[in-house]
Amino acid sequence: MKVSTKGRYGLRALVDLAYHCVDGHVSLVQIAERQKISLNYLEQVFSTLRKAGIVNSVKGAQGGYVLAIEPKDITVGEILRVLEGEFNIVDDLDQNQSANQTAIRRLVWEPINSEVRRYIYSTRLNDLVREHRMLNELSDENMYYI
Amino acid sequence: MKISTKGIYALEAVMDLAMHSEGELVTIKDISSRTEISEKYLERIVGALKKKNILESTRGKFGGYRLGAEAKDINVSHILMAVEGDLAPVECLTMTTDCGIDPDCCVTRIFWNGLWEKIKRITDNTTLQQLIDESEQITKEKIDALEYYI
Repeated sequence: MKVSTKGRYGLRALVDLAYHCVDGHVSLVQIAERQKISLNYLEQVFSTLRKAGIVNSVKGAQGGYVLAIEPKDITVGEILRVLEGEFNIVDDLDQNQSANQTAIRRLVWEPINSEVRRYIYSTRLNDLVREHRMLNELSDENMYYI
Repeated sequence: MKISTKGIYALEAVMDLAMHSEGELVTIKDISSRTEISEKYLERIVGALKKKNILESTRGKFGGYRLGAEAKDINVSHILMAVEGDLAPVECLTMTTDCGIDPDCCVTRIFWNGLWEKIKRITDNTTLQQLIDESEQITKEKIDALEYYI
């Protein structure tokens, strides 16, 4: 039971973009370097994100990407839905189920689906950016003291 | 992020076995005929469950399987983990990976860990016994509804 590479890398790249694009657009080459993700792969991921209206591309020799939405206006759930499809642990099971299957659905699959949904749709991109800043600036500070 | 068919079938198979093993051993053939899961597939699932002592087996002509512990002491995460491995949504939560990012500074890793906690909370706190009770309740309601119509 794993999140796809597209979901993992895409979310990481978007946090990077949101963190760095306050100073203008960011090139995929920079994201690729910082996040250790291949440029080729990032191009695919950003093409998906652009079509979904999450990022805008900036053309030209110094081109790159900017966020199309404020980080506080998009949830991680919405991002993952674009990258992964709907985040359900099991797909809609047919209604013609045995009593055992119904019991499993009610006590296991449905509670997991709804908890997962609640979690991913209540975390916003800016929550992750804020935490990213805290983690990384804190470690920069430590470096400074060393 | 999907649970595999193996995980889905493992829960069904253990429930079926638990509900039909009043003092006797249950064979894969029995489980297969009731759940419509193929015998071949069940054998793989049962093998994994046995390794984790969720099931016990006796060989021979009258051999078969029974639960390795009481249904109230087996929880959903035991069963799912026996066939699925850990239920972590990303690998780097359970093993060292060489993604090139310092795990202590990776905000998405923290996010995925939060998701894992949600999944664990539910699967750790739901027991086989609760599933059985729920299933029996569902069957009882169905029968009551039928009797009402008759």
